Amino acid sequence: MGHPHIEKLDPKTHTMTLSLDIGLYPADVLYAAAYVFLDRAYVLLDRAGPRFEVHLRGKGELTEAQLSAMSGEFENELLAQALRRKVVKANQKIIEDITSQAIAGAAGGTLPTDFLAAGDDGMDFLDDPLGIAVPWEDKFKKKKDA
Amino acid sequence: MSHVTHQSVKLHRTLYMQQAVKDAATTFADFASFTVKRDGDYYAVEIKDIDADVEGDVVAEFCNFALANTAGRKKSKKA
Repeated sequence: MGHPHIEKLDPKTHTMTLSLDIGLYPADVLYAAAYVFLDRAYVLLDRAGPRFEVHLRGKGELTEAQLSAMSGEFENELLAQALRRKVVKANQKIIEDITSQAIAGAAGGTLPTDFLAAGDDGMDFLDDPLGIAVPWEDKFKKKKDA
Repeated sequence: MSHVTHQSVKLHRTLYMQQAVKDAATTFADFASFTVKRDGDYYAVEIKDIDADVEGDVVAEFCNFALANTAGRKKSKKA
């Protein structure tokens, strides 16, 4: 059987065991899905031949229906993480390029070339042809005195 | 009320990293004493002197930490 299935479900002890095909779910996907459940369940991973076993125990009391729902949520999380892994793998180059550009930009390494060319107008950074740096009070006083 | 002071747990070696298990043991060292040994395909963890005053399941929390540490280490190893 390929898809995950509930091996054991015991509402008395709030425990459940899921069995997954190793070939369908890589360990990375299993870790990522299990990690999501650590805040609301005690998770123990095991291996039984060609299958992973996931032992889940609710941190609080859980009914049979809630345990079944948790099982479904775990399976959904497995699929979501598997898809996430696939998307990351497919876009690895783009992610690396964007990240390296962002880091280089933050380090001041890459300014657009036209921006650099436009900046050379023979002016010093202290020049203030529009009078922007003159305080408002000075401008006002001059007008009043005149 | 009876209280369990001695438990053992087996963690599969292909799914749990030794250092991650040891780190989890260090984290919980104030609440119990841990001994980690190899036992075939598993790390056999003996947990003794579990603090009776601790609310919650020390062993189960320890397992969660071992798993979280393993997941974190595997992820950072890949990156």
